[in-house]
Amino acid sequence: MTTLALAGNPNCGKTTIFNALTGSRHHVGNWPGVTVERRSGTFETPQGTVEVVDLPGTYSLSARSEDERIAAVFVADPSVDVIVNVVDASNLERNFYLTTQLLELGRPMVFVLNMMDDAEEKGLKIDVPALERLLGGPVVPTVGNREEGILNLKDAILKVAGASAAKLAAVNYGPDMEGEIQKIVQEILRDEELAQAQPPRRLALQLLESVPHALELVERSHARKAIGAQVKASLAFLEPHLGSDGSTLLAEGRYGFVHGLVEEVVQHTGRKHADITGRLDSLLTHRYLGIPIFIAIMIGVYTVTFVVGKYPQDWIAAAFGWLHGYASAHLPAGELSSLLVDGIIPGVGAVIVFVPVIMLLMGCIAFLEDTGYMARAAFIMDRLMHLMGLHGKSFIPLIMGTGCNVPAVQATRTIEAREDRFITILVAPLISCSARLQIYIVIAGTFFRPVQAAFAILAMHFLGFFLAMAMGKLLRLSLFRGENAPFVMELPPYRLPVLKSTMIHMWEKGSVFLNRAGTVILAGSTLVWFLSHYPGIANASWTAELHSQHAAVRALNLPEADREVRLAALDRAHESRVVNSSLAARFGKVLQPTLAPILDPYHTRPEAWKDTVALTAGFVAKEIVVSTMAVIHQAQGGEGDEASALQEALKQRSGLTPLTALAFMVFTLIYTPCLGTVGMIMKETRSFLWAGFTIVYGSGLAWFMAWLTVVGGHLLGYV
Amino acid sequence: MSHVQARTLSDLQPGAEAVVTEILATGKIRHRLLEMGFIRGARIRVEKLAPMGDPMELVIKGYHLSLRREEGQCILVSEET
Repeated sequence: MTTLALAGNPNCGKTTIFNALTGSRHHVGNWPGVTVERRSGTFETPQGTVEVVDLPGTYSLSARSEDERIAAVFVADPSVDVIVNVVDASNLERNFYLTTQLLELGRPMVFVLNMMDDAEEKGLKIDVPALERLLGGPVVPTVGNREEGILNLKDAILKVAGASAAKLAAVNYGPDMEGEIQKIVQEILRDEELAQAQPPRRLALQLLESVPHALELVERSHARKAIGAQVKASLAFLEPHLGSDGSTLLAEGRYGFVHGLVEEVVQHTGRKHADITGRLDSLLTHRYLGIPIFIAIMIGVYTVTFVVGKYPQDWIAAAFGWLHGYASAHLPAGELSSLLVDGIIPGVGAVIVFVPVIMLLMGCIAFLEDTGYMARAAFIMDRLMHLMGLHGKSFIPLIMGTGCNVPAVQATRTIEAREDRFITILVAPLISCSARLQIYIVIAGTFFRPVQAAFAILAMHFLGFFLAMAMGKLLRLSLFRGENAPFVMELPPYRLPVLKSTMIHMWEKGSVFLNRAGTVILAGSTLVWFLSHYPGIANASWTAELHSQHAAVRALNLPEADREVRLAALDRAHESRVVNSSLAARFGKVLQPTLAPILDPYHTRPEAWKDTVALTAGFVAKEIVVSTMAVIHQAQGGEGDEASALQEALKQRSGLTPLTALAFMVFTLIYTPCLGTVGMIMKETRSFLWAGFTIVYGSGLAWFMAWLTVVGGHLLGYV
Repeated sequence: MSHVQARTLSDLQPGAEAVVTEILATGKIRHRLLEMGFIRGARIRVEKLAPMGDPMELVIKGYHLSLRREEGQCILVSEET
């Protein structure tokens, strides 16, 4: 099998080339040990199968970021037969910088001049045969989003893969530099293994640029002393002589080479078309209009994701509700049935219910990304986000977190720098989501007057944002200290996105979620079912009691409606008994003292442990706090109106005061991300530790903030 | 080398054109800037500032790029007059 690596700058249309080559035959995974997505696929040729690996888009191979390291290591891997370098034909000068580094590898290469239509629009005429001669490999013009030139590309790949070592162009860095490169190469050649790992000239260049990866490689060689001494001597000679450091000199050499190349092969026809990007930008990043337009676009994305997404979510919830009802009506009562009816069916439902919003939000983000607006959004919001230690691109995930934290965490994929991305992931759960809103509505509606309640609910949202800012800054100053990732960001030309790419992207995100985060959520919700039903559900005498009570009610020969109400009341009482004696309830009672200072500061509430149980159950999904409270407080819904029955029960029996109710709200806002979010964090950071960290710091912060609420309220004279 | 009108990139107003004379940044930022085309002699045009005043948008090597003003302070330029 032939393996080819697709390398290129971000925004060069590499993904459309990948999709055009492989069609639907591809797989999304992760590069080993890191959180960077790895996409690979295959296509068939008369000469056999060709595997295509899509490298992360990078501007260089100097291995200073995670993406660059992956790309640099993979292109040097012996398993790669052909490197396909995709360049944006309308912006050759910067795109060819990466090309100069790829040429150093001495591998068979094919050059793809993508977006030829854009280049023509810009009035550029590229002499392809001349370019082929100068680069030393086949050059294929393509228009990726229309799949033009893909057949030629496949032909070129096969031709190159079969051929012997190509005569590729090499950058000439000038006599002084070349002399020193030669000296370093001589030293490298002392260690055969090292010289075989990658071309000695490339290694020498990387050493002159002090690429960390190359320095490590040399550290392991027996010739490290000789090589190190030569590099030091060379730099000591070059720097004063040529007036700058090694990296600058090499970058200048490369850009010089590229400039000459472009001068040679590109003709300006002078036929310039309207600068659409410039015109759009004069509006979209306008000093006064830029922010309102951005807000309008955000409202649009939010509406599509959470308002439109609500319909399929409701259908899914209804379908699982029906399944739940059907199963509970047709299965004999018992532990296994309960596992299925109360554990697995709602668990699977809880996973699938996220899929529509994930696919819609990811589709919107892919759309913004593909059009080029995402970079503008970051440009507009960066000032604000930078204040909180974050990146301009952190804004969209955070704002989407108000709908649901789960897709918000996934949306951080657009942030390139690892530190920025991780901080955003870690603070995202502090943003109050719509599930928490349901809790606020019940609690605030019970203990506050209407206007106060609205204020309290609004305050929770602001508190969430404020804490996210504070934690962002704190994390930046502590765990993610060190160099700020530079905000040197390309503002690519606006382009029309390809529907097919967006669809493929949405599909991938949905299925990746089901595969990875889904399993965590399902396992977690089964565990919580177990904790909240055992040992009571296995208590045969309780079950027998319930059966005999049912039989007694049936024997009364009441009118049907009346009988159903009575039976439901018995079921509820039984359920309440099981839950209130469950492991989760015991756990709640054990935990209660730790929460006493915030939920029961005067030790006047015998039922305070019930809050703890509800909060524990809320770990699965925050909306479950409300339904659990209804069960444990035995709120009897008259006409199925559970919420108002619960409010009545809370007011009468729970003993919460407005102040402790507010503390309860603060606590629910912060205490732990829900299971879905934890699953997603685990998937996105590929680490149990970070997922655990969000639970631990969330709970600690929640306790502290709720305690401040109680103490502060008390000082102000509230009880 | 003498800088007749040595200023940093951040001092430039939208619409100004200049030539890069030196990169003062070190580490990651320095390398990133070099790779993105900030080499000695490269021409820059400042397009605009973001609505909140930072970052700035500029054109270099025929493409549009944004960077924070604190990063722009590490880039010495000589303004074209």
